[in-house]
Amino acid sequence: MLRRKRPVGLPRGLERPQSSGSDVYMARRNDLIAWGRKYSMWPFNFGLSCCYVEMATSITSKYDISRFGSEIIRGSPREADVMVVAGTVFAKMAPLVLHMYEQMMEPRWVICMGSCASSGGMYDIYSVVQGVDSFLPVDVYVQGCPPSPDSFMRGLVLLGEAVATEKRPLSWVVGPQGVIRTVKPSLRDNMRPERQKQTDLRSPDEV
Amino acid sequence: MIATTGTIGELSERFGAGSLHAQPTKDGVPTVWAGVERFRDVLAWLKSTQGGSYTMLLDITAIDERSRAHRENQPPADFSVVYHLVSMDRNQDVRLKVALQGPNPTLRTITDLWPNADWYERETWDMFGITFEGHPHLRRILTPPWWEGHPLRKEHPARATEMGPYHMTSEDAQRMLATMEFKPEDWGMKRESGDHQYMFLNIGPQHPATHGILRLTVQLDGEEIVDVVPDIGFHHRGAEKMGERQTWHTYIPYTDRIDYLGGLLNNFPYVLAVEKLAGIEIPERAQVIRVMMAELFRVISHLVFYGTFSADLGQMSPLFWMFNDRERAFDIVEAVTGGRMHPAWFRIGGVAMDLPTGWDRMVRDFITYMRKRLRDYDVTVMKNRIIKARTVGIGSVSQEEAIAWGATGPFLRATGVDWDLRKKRPYGGYEKFEFDVPTGTHGDSYDRVAVHVEEIRQSLRIMEQCLNNMPAGQYKADHPLATPPRKERTMHDIETLINHFLGVSWGPVVPAGEAIAVAEGSKGNHSYYLVSDGGTMSYRTRIRTPSFAHIQMVPMLCRGLTVPDLVAILGSIDYVLADIDR
Repeated sequence: MLRRKRPVGLPRGLERPQSSGSDVYMARRNDLIAWGRKYSMWPFNFGLSCCYVEMATSITSKYDISRFGSEIIRGSPREADVMVVAGTVFAKMAPLVLHMYEQMMEPRWVICMGSCASSGGMYDIYSVVQGVDSFLPVDVYVQGCPPSPDSFMRGLVLLGEAVATEKRPLSWVVGPQGVIRTVKPSLRDNMRPERQKQTDLRSPDEV
Repeated sequence: MIATTGTIGELSERFGAGSLHAQPTKDGVPTVWAGVERFRDVLAWLKSTQGGSYTMLLDITAIDERSRAHRENQPPADFSVVYHLVSMDRNQDVRLKVALQGPNPTLRTITDLWPNADWYERETWDMFGITFEGHPHLRRILTPPWWEGHPLRKEHPARATEMGPYHMTSEDAQRMLATMEFKPEDWGMKRESGDHQYMFLNIGPQHPATHGILRLTVQLDGEEIVDVVPDIGFHHRGAEKMGERQTWHTYIPYTDRIDYLGGLLNNFPYVLAVEKLAGIEIPERAQVIRVMMAELFRVISHLVFYGTFSADLGQMSPLFWMFNDRERAFDIVEAVTGGRMHPAWFRIGGVAMDLPTGWDRMVRDFITYMRKRLRDYDVTVMKNRIIKARTVGIGSVSQEEAIAWGATGPFLRATGVDWDLRKKRPYGGYEKFEFDVPTGTHGDSYDRVAVHVEEIRQSLRIMEQCLNNMPAGQYKADHPLATPPRKERTMHDIETLINHFLGVSWGPVVPAGEAIAVAEGSKGNHSYYLVSDGGTMSYRTRIRTPSFAHIQMVPMLCRGLTVPDLVAILGSIDYVLADIDR
């Protein structure tokens, strides 16, 4: 039988039984749930610094992250899925960041938006923690100072792709516990072949 | 440039020539040193009408003089506390300095003379360890309560990497949070009155309505606000200490991030101050380019303010529309500078590069587009009955109160005071432009927003004049300290190449001296007071920001109102957390 390319947006391993005309689809339970999670990741309305303005810009119409399922920005961590650490992690704010993270319910993910959250950025200074990964587990690092809304959305989509392949326990009483995550890809390495093909660089001297 | 005005002469006459010491500075601000015993009398006299009506205390800061080499014409001091006063009647500034000795000096407070001295003295205590006797609540303001040491002292480490790896477990976090627990007794508040108790509501630091990480603890009597205690410092990035570790040129990106909505508006006072110290004159084309980009960023910043204000009061669509307008403005910024929010595009001596061809078409389209949108927004936002009901008469402040608390910019102009530095003390080429300065009448939340909206229109007007009258010429000055020198010349003669190399690696060596440049930022008077010790890095970078003074006023504005009014007031004060905490 011909192998058709699966359209984007469907659960992994979605199969339609041989008998045509049937409306029954088969997939593994884990994949279906992971698919549902991927397309409904609600960010936590948590901005620390300048990156938050670009995150807010990505929520507005030109960029619109709700196309990717992040329809609702929750004000309370208890209702959110993704904590986007958008901005510098200050020494005075660090215990609160951890406090917010602890209030989020599993499954929860963390996106480091911007250089300051990833590593302290250009602020190697006494009052800034050099990267939120000193005390939080981070899933995606988005680079930029601040990352443009396109970069942030790319980070969100990347997280979605990772979430779709995660294996999580469905219950705390049944089955193996612990989350099995994908290995974090480096976009820089993955995109290098494509970028090396760019030879036509536009000059900044004209619009 | 020796400072010569009537003020120093009058002070000598009043207090005796021997008791005060005049210091020449490069910015023309009369600077006098007074002794510890007399400085309060001098300040009180300056504030009075006979003394010159220096009714606004713009800034209090300090300088750690212990490792400073070039202190000619200055009395010996380990620390000096600097008071910067402004007289609107005379349109003049004066700077008073007090010399202090010893590792932990003390000085009397001036919170009885100016109410806004409260937070400035707390910051000086926090950063330098100078105790202000008689201060009502001398406690840390920018650093966390568990911090040890005073960051701006020269012995305090600057870099986080010099302080060991960061560890924080959940238990550590709980311990730190416990130190931040609010205790009403610390602030002189009672927990109950008569037969009922007050409720202490914690708003923030994570809260959509606080426009950033700002914590407000509100003392409520039922629904009525009795008092508010703002807690800042959650956004403290040590920009002033960073200035002492970066060259004059590499510090420019740090300035962008002070008022993070303002972009190039932040570069402006910083490069102006360095240019004063270095004695650089800017060519006309560079001036007009700077003014145009600065006004474009004023529009960008005001659009965020306008959108978030309407969102705070319940409207959703204007926020989205205004952010879309901002995207069109960012198209221009990206085409000209390469960056969006933080271009860091101004340079010491001019701008980074010339404008691209085709810029005029983009700017013209934007101005036409934006003018129409503003008319639409007037109907949707400013004429809306609910918005008017929630902001007219709410959070009013009188002209005297605003000046006494150090309010500047649109906040001050909403009370009716016509104080815009672009008109009163034109800098950077603004004297060549025609524009009006909008003022309000009641100083309430509605007037503050109305002033901002009209300012967008005036900024578009200035941009149109830049568009129609852009002079030809150089985009950067031909001065040895202009950093980096224009690239075209570096390939032709070796001296320029050497200068270019040194300028971008070692950095320009700015002659010793002190200079302040105060600019009209989008939020108010934004100033950089730079002290150079004749090196490649600043000895002291003092950033006086408008939002610090404005948030100090929040308790006063909210008393007797309700929490929704507090939200409306916060939405109408244009502030940014990085502007408050730096």
